Amino acid sequence: MLKFIAKRLGSALAVLFAASLLLYILVINSGDPLKDLRESNADNREYLMAQRIEYMELDQPWYLRYWDWLTGVSKCFVGQCDLGRNINGVEVSGLLANAASSTLRLVLIATLIAAILGIAIGVLTAVRQYSGLDYTVTFLTFLFFSLPVFWAAVLLKEYLAIGFNDWIAAPDISLGTSILVGMILGLILQTFLAGSLKRRMLTFAVVTVFVPLAMQYSLWLNFYRYPQMGPAFIVVLTALVALSATAMSTGLKEKRVLYPALITVALVLIAYYATFYLMAEPNTWILLGGLILAVLLPALVGRFMGGRLRKVAASVAMATGFVGAALTVVDHLFRAWPGFLDNKGRPISTIGSSTANFEGGYWDHFLDNGTQLLLPTILLAIISLASYSRYTRSSMLEVQQQDYIRTARSKGLSERTVIFRHAFRNAMIPIATIAAFDFAGLIGGAVITERVFGWKGMGEMFATGLDRVDANPVMAFFLVTGTAAILFNLMADIVYALLDPRIRV
Amino acid sequence: MRFQRVSKAVAVGAAMALALSACAPGGGGDPAASESGAAGGNGSAEVTNSGLADLGDITTKDGAINVSIGAPEFLSYNGFTPNTYSTYNSGIVDRMFAGFSYFGTDGTLYPNEDLGSYEKVSDDPLTIKYTINENAVWSDGTPITVADSVLAWGVQNLNLNEGGDKEKPLFNSVSVDLGDTVPKGPQGDVAGKEFTVEFAAPDPDWALQSWMLHPAHVVAKEAGMSTEELANAILAGESDKLKEAAEFWNEGWVTNPGTLPDEAISPVSGPYKLGSWKAGESVTLVANEEYYGTPAATKELTFRFVEDAAMVQALQNKDLDVINPQPTVDTLSQLEALGDQINIQKGDTLTWEHLDFNFTEGNAFTNLELRKAFAMCVPRQNIVDNLIKPLNPEAIVMNAREVFPFQDNYEDVVSASYDGRYDEVDIEGAKKILEEQDAVGTKVRIGYSAPNERRTNQVAAIKSSCDEAGFEIEDDGDAKFFAPGGAQDRGDYEVALFAWAGSGQISSGQNIYATGKPQNFGKYSNEQVDAEWETLATSLDPAVHQEQVKKIEKLLWDDLYGIPVFAHPGLSASGSDIQNVRHTATQDQIVWNANQWVRAE
Repeated sequence: MLKFIAKRLGSALAVLFAASLLLYILVINSGDPLKDLRESNADNREYLMAQRIEYMELDQPWYLRYWDWLTGVSKCFVGQCDLGRNINGVEVSGLLANAASSTLRLVLIATLIAAILGIAIGVLTAVRQYSGLDYTVTFLTFLFFSLPVFWAAVLLKEYLAIGFNDWIAAPDISLGTSILVGMILGLILQTFLAGSLKRRMLTFAVVTVFVPLAMQYSLWLNFYRYPQMGPAFIVVLTALVALSATAMSTGLKEKRVLYPALITVALVLIAYYATFYLMAEPNTWILLGGLILAVLLPALVGRFMGGRLRKVAASVAMATGFVGAALTVVDHLFRAWPGFLDNKGRPISTIGSSTANFEGGYWDHFLDNGTQLLLPTILLAIISLASYSRYTRSSMLEVQQQDYIRTARSKGLSERTVIFRHAFRNAMIPIATIAAFDFAGLIGGAVITERVFGWKGMGEMFATGLDRVDANPVMAFFLVTGTAAILFNLMADIVYALLDPRIRV
Repeated sequence: MRFQRVSKAVAVGAAMALALSACAPGGGGDPAASESGAAGGNGSAEVTNSGLADLGDITTKDGAINVSIGAPEFLSYNGFTPNTYSTYNSGIVDRMFAGFSYFGTDGTLYPNEDLGSYEKVSDDPLTIKYTINENAVWSDGTPITVADSVLAWGVQNLNLNEGGDKEKPLFNSVSVDLGDTVPKGPQGDVAGKEFTVEFAAPDPDWALQSWMLHPAHVVAKEAGMSTEELANAILAGESDKLKEAAEFWNEGWVTNPGTLPDEAISPVSGPYKLGSWKAGESVTLVANEEYYGTPAATKELTFRFVEDAAMVQALQNKDLDVINPQPTVDTLSQLEALGDQINIQKGDTLTWEHLDFNFTEGNAFTNLELRKAFAMCVPRQNIVDNLIKPLNPEAIVMNAREVFPFQDNYEDVVSASYDGRYDEVDIEGAKKILEEQDAVGTKVRIGYSAPNERRTNQVAAIKSSCDEAGFEIEDDGDAKFFAPGGAQDRGDYEVALFAWAGSGQISSGQNIYATGKPQNFGKYSNEQVDAEWETLATSLDPAVHQEQVKKIEKLLWDDLYGIPVFAHPGLSASGSDIQNVRHTATQDQIVWNANQWVRAE
């Protein structure tokens, strides 16, 4: 395995080197870096040109310029990267750090959401091949996939930002609208839950009645400006999660699983009160630590009490703990929301990654960053949803044709075990490659999204550099995206090996 | 306030237009352009001329105004180096530095009485006396003195260099000619408030020179010398002593994006100072509490770096209060759809489009008759109606080169120089000339920097009209038209279509129309034009300037140097609750009076 990785790394470096040379030559010949000055009528035009020629070393031959760049970059191996300066005299390393961090923030969550949702949709549509759900979802994902990013961004801004902000100022939902929403949700839910005609109709009826009532009730509570949850609600929800997780894994009769789950619910309630003041003004480390504890403690409880079923018990308890912790965070966000609205009357902004000079506590900033991230994340996620769901679907369908699936079924294994233990794991192998490529691609490829939402990310740095025939930022972009592509490719190979015992060396 | 004229030209380059100063001084008068809604209706101060309105006795109001003039990142506190000079950076730093003068909305130069005053004390040699206000101080409390003006002169002085080599000046500045035009520099007590400058030759544009840039006391301290030592070293031309100072001036204010230079080294002389900078997103200026003039109207002014395409929705969502997008019909119609939520500022700018002939030997248009025929068939009114009026309903065909339609003396200059003979398209007349000259089927390659949709449309309009007359128009738009080895450089074109941007200079048209000058791209030569320019450039009398402009315009019309077409339209918009936002025709853009913006109660 080590030899394999070393070999791959070696060839990757060679590829990177050759590509950088090629790109460098292409960039410096892509235009005229003096273009703006040539068209200028400044009295000292010649002088300004001479200054720029000297500054950018335009009078040097390409190999010397490339050599300069290469020696600067090779210092990275000793930890002193010198990526040069851009045409404006700003250090590229500083630019790169900012661009990379903003792109990562933009892309990370979107890719995760797209992958998780896409895979889930893919599995669901594969299991229910050629059903109404399959057709509808296929249609929708293709629709999203073919959306022009720019146009979709404008629509999102129009409805989710401007429209929502106008609405939140004085929330109101007419009775007609809420009934309509109820019916639509009812239709959607009955497709997902499926079952016999009677069951579908029941689902539809319940949703159609419940949703409008809930909407009107929440309006009466002024929930959208003063949302509230409270510990009782958290406990009820967490308990529901505990019960359903137990039911789905082993059945409610299995006390060795049920008790740890219920103990976790109690722990969530205790933690809620114990951390209340800490959580009122936390920091990111506290939240991370809390999350780890919220998963770790239930896992330990599950292990100790689970006996023969300790693995299942631990997972169920962990899931319960996680949901409890998440709900606690949501509760605090709800508490912070009215103050946040006072501070930022139009919560969803159309530009930037945070409000300039925003003042407030931790949760206010959390909400501010979250609301700013919302639109670009939705956009990036729905666009890459299609590829994940389609690949997963076809991969699942292919695997389900395999002999070992038939064998598993004929052994009398439950359908759930067949699909998740046997089919799903094998179907994930090609998806790993796609996910790796997708992520590496998004780092450099979210140019339009970055532009329309006013984020200065990697794509923007590349486009601006190229526009001004400024090699250093373009090469820095290449260095990061090229390395990312190669690294993720390598990772995909390793994950391959982990998922598929056949290619383990 | 405005930086020096050279820098303006660079700015224009950055804005992808072609730079040329073109306008004669307009004199006080009406504001530059139609200000639909700007000063009316929301409690804005009354506008009496093209200069800053009088806000009365105001105090700085809490709150922030968000503005975007484009996507490029803030570069540096020192926006006076070739690397950091751009219209975008100037839009920000100009709020922080006071100059002795500023441009009004129509390009008229006004003295900035906050900082001080200036007067011409002698014509020969041209000598100007500057007086800095007694109470004028940098934001750190240090008085603004003659030493600061000496530094401003020093950084624009090529005679301060390494080893006597003028190619290697100490200060890496966008503007470098003051050392020769004012050989002795500012004369006066360097710790005092008064100085005089003596020009080596008459310069009609003397009032545009920058005599106030950066704080000398900071540069001196960083270089380990006293302010007096620094000023005296500059005045004495002692380059050796100035190396450290120059190094700091060149590099010391350049920081990584998101990191502002330490407040101790970045005091300001203007109404705003640097507050915070979020890399890639925004830079916030806060009111300078030590400002000695009319204080900023609003405490915080945030410049956000936003693409044009995202501006309108950001304005609608109140993420931005003032926007300055590229003027396109689409943008305008989106803005108009917002109704009374916003005010739209429309009007002309000091950038004008023109068709210039190629006079290099062997070119068809060295023949005056053919130039006339071409001028007859160019559908200028049609171009303005179709391409410009949708953006600025009051746009007209431009019939001058050195003055703009919105300036007071436009009518005067045009009536003296042009009889309207090319107002109407005259296909028959053009046809007749072509036949007489035996030039039917003359190929006319119209070159411009592509891609540029508006210019492509203009060429199409010209083609459909002039082909009828017997020309054979060819669209030669090319990204490399102006590049070395491009069509313009090789001389492989008949007509060049581009724009010059005016900067308020009086004499720089000489660079375009006189023989052998660098911006005379078409190699035009006319002794009489050369002589008239010489007279203009060496005179300090506005009446002479006025007279010369008329003469030059007439010569250029009779001889058809080229054909002016229109002044570029400008567009900006502001939330209806923001007072005192006013369109300007100059390169300063909408932020020119940002220190007066304030949110209505």
